[in-house]
Amino acid sequence: MSPTATATTTELLERLQRLLRWRLWIREKLQLTEWQITLLWAALAGFTGALASMIFSALAEGVHEFMTNSTSGVVESMRHLPWWGCLLVPTLGGAAAGLVLLYGSRLTRSQSSTDYMEAIVIGNGRVPVRASLVKSTAALFSIGSGGSIGREGPMVQLSAVAASLLGRWRQFTGPQLRLLVACGASAGIASAYNAPIAGSFFVAEIILGSIAMESLGPLAVSAVVATLTIRVLTAAQVMYRVPVFQLNSPWEMGPYVILGLLAGGMAPLFLRSLKQSEEFFIALRLPLVARLALGGLLVGVIAINVPQVCGNGYTVVVDILNGRLVWTVLLGIFACKWLATMSSFGSGAPGGVFTPTLFMGASAGYLFGTGVHALWPASGVDPGAFALVGMGAFLSAASRAPVMAVIMLFEMTLSYDIILPLMLCNVIAYYTAKGVAGESLYSASLRRKAAAEPAAAFAATRVSDLMRLDPPTIPPAARFAEIAERFLSVRVNNLYVRDDEGRFLGAVSLHDIKPYLGQLDLAELVIARDILREDFPKIGPDQSLSEALGAFLGLTAERLPVVAPDTGRLLGSLSKSDLLLALVEKRRPTLAGA
Amino acid sequence: MDLPSQLLAQPDALLLDLTATSREGAISALHAQLAKSPAVKDAPLLLRDLLERAMLAPVCIAVDVALPHARTDAVARVVVGVARVTPPGVGFDGEHPAVRLIFMVGTPKQQVEEYLLAVAAITRLLKTEGVRTGLLAARTAAEFTALLARGAAS
Repeated sequence: MSPTATATTTELLERLQRLLRWRLWIREKLQLTEWQITLLWAALAGFTGALASMIFSALAEGVHEFMTNSTSGVVESMRHLPWWGCLLVPTLGGAAAGLVLLYGSRLTRSQSSTDYMEAIVIGNGRVPVRASLVKSTAALFSIGSGGSIGREGPMVQLSAVAASLLGRWRQFTGPQLRLLVACGASAGIASAYNAPIAGSFFVAEIILGSIAMESLGPLAVSAVVATLTIRVLTAAQVMYRVPVFQLNSPWEMGPYVILGLLAGGMAPLFLRSLKQSEEFFIALRLPLVARLALGGLLVGVIAINVPQVCGNGYTVVVDILNGRLVWTVLLGIFACKWLATMSSFGSGAPGGVFTPTLFMGASAGYLFGTGVHALWPASGVDPGAFALVGMGAFLSAASRAPVMAVIMLFEMTLSYDIILPLMLCNVIAYYTAKGVAGESLYSASLRRKAAAEPAAAFAATRVSDLMRLDPPTIPPAARFAEIAERFLSVRVNNLYVRDDEGRFLGAVSLHDIKPYLGQLDLAELVIARDILREDFPKIGPDQSLSEALGAFLGLTAERLPVVAPDTGRLLGSLSKSDLLLALVEKRRPTLAGA
Repeated sequence: MDLPSQLLAQPDALLLDLTATSREGAISALHAQLAKSPAVKDAPLLLRDLLERAMLAPVCIAVDVALPHARTDAVARVVVGVARVTPPGVGFDGEHPAVRLIFMVGTPKQQVEEYLLAVAAITRLLKTEGVRTGLLAARTAAEFTALLARGAAS
């Protein structure tokens, strides 16, 4: 080689080394930890969840407009329909939902009906896309036609589907995928109720059963991004505007205690009635389309005289909280809404019962407050305040999530004055409901599903359950320059060295080689075998999760190699974040005890 | 001065007029001298590891300089041996047919950082102006080690 050519090669090598050094320096300074990356994905899940919720909401309004020829709210539209219109619209909506479910089942034959909660609690985080789309499309008709059902359920489901797709695209591990789906659900609730804290706590308390930061952090990020997206793209504001409520005397807490007991007793009754209604409709043995049409027809019959039963009950709750309804009228609406919800839910109309639950609580609270006011006029209690507290108490008793209920009520109304009775009432309602009936709004279906599909219940117990395949490796003869380049192409701090037979020999640490990246002579001289650490900790595939946690203690490494103890072959790697998530999941209460 | 540089200034073994006809012969001769150091716990193992490493990938850092090295259980601390081969030198591989200077390094297996420090110190030493030519021209052991010490300190 001529001196000129040698000089050019050296110059090129020097430039490459400089570039490598800079890139490694930048990457090290800006390198995100696995948890930070999880938060970024949670934020993306929040964004996609908000978009999914908005699209569903817009479509539901479009269907409603098409079916009623009105751009007003559901209750207003039904009020202006002739009697036959009140009968026809929900009936047709039910039939259309039934047809979608019927024909959609042909597209989803191979898919389970797993909803997002099942995918998180007892599944592997894979929310079936086609089945969810079919169910959500059917929900558009049942909701758009005025069914007494909430739109929030499908919004949360779609948000979770979007998150599940993101995780599957990025080939997330089981615990990561379940966490991302939980983030999607959190985003869906935050979008639906403009309530980011409640969205996070709903998922943490009800679904994950843990408020450990490993899961709550991503849930909060997702919910915040979803709420911001909704606020930027729509004119979303406080969900329920309420007058200022004041606690005039500590004695007022007495009636609130009674309200807590009442709500705690009524909520299980409400849930049981929904269940019985479901059994009644099934016992009729009607074809699916006819069953949903009948559910719609019954809602329509009630709506001829009481249009307030249509929809999720939002506008009526606003009227209740602002004292715009006379108690005698409300008593009628309360009874009719209960029946209408039984009809919609029992017939199998797809949708949620979260907002109808709020309606039941608000009505019961207002009626109770009116009674207190009548019996104790000197107290000056406001029935509207009882309605607000009743909402929270009913929700707490039905969902068995008192913390979420307190936060959600506060976020939806931004009324801090009511916080003391709200907290007390929620806790009393929670314990009362727990004593009256063992299961919550959500645990019953989850328990049934877990019993029906025991194989679906996933709980990582061994390292191999969490192991990621194909970790980045290098051969023992890899040159220094190759090692540096490999570190640039993969986001790890330790490269595993594996021989031709696949045996794990040790790991090369980025920390070790960093100071020498500028030394050109080492690029050709040093090979992986020279600098590998044979004593790098490793773990076996059959070791328990607590043993794995022990192996991570005192280590800065984010991953450990999983090595077969008999052959010494490198099988994969175990990520610390996966392990911590799995340990958080293990702390989740069993479904039997939910 | 860090530990590898100190070792370089005062190597555990020094051979100034080594005559060898093969890479293995040169390595074995310097190894025999280095094995006298109390830091070498298992001389045969050290030799085996050095030869094994030399066969796995090239160990030359310049046209006439070789750096046979190994991380091995055979030593208690980093050991350094230096040899100057009589002209015309010894062939280490196709690209290095006339190696004149040999730096031998043995490092305990757990000491990755020390290994890199030692290897980096030697490559730095040979880049120091006049050191390589001075080592080849040194007439006495004292002159040779003085140059090593100067280079290691710079």
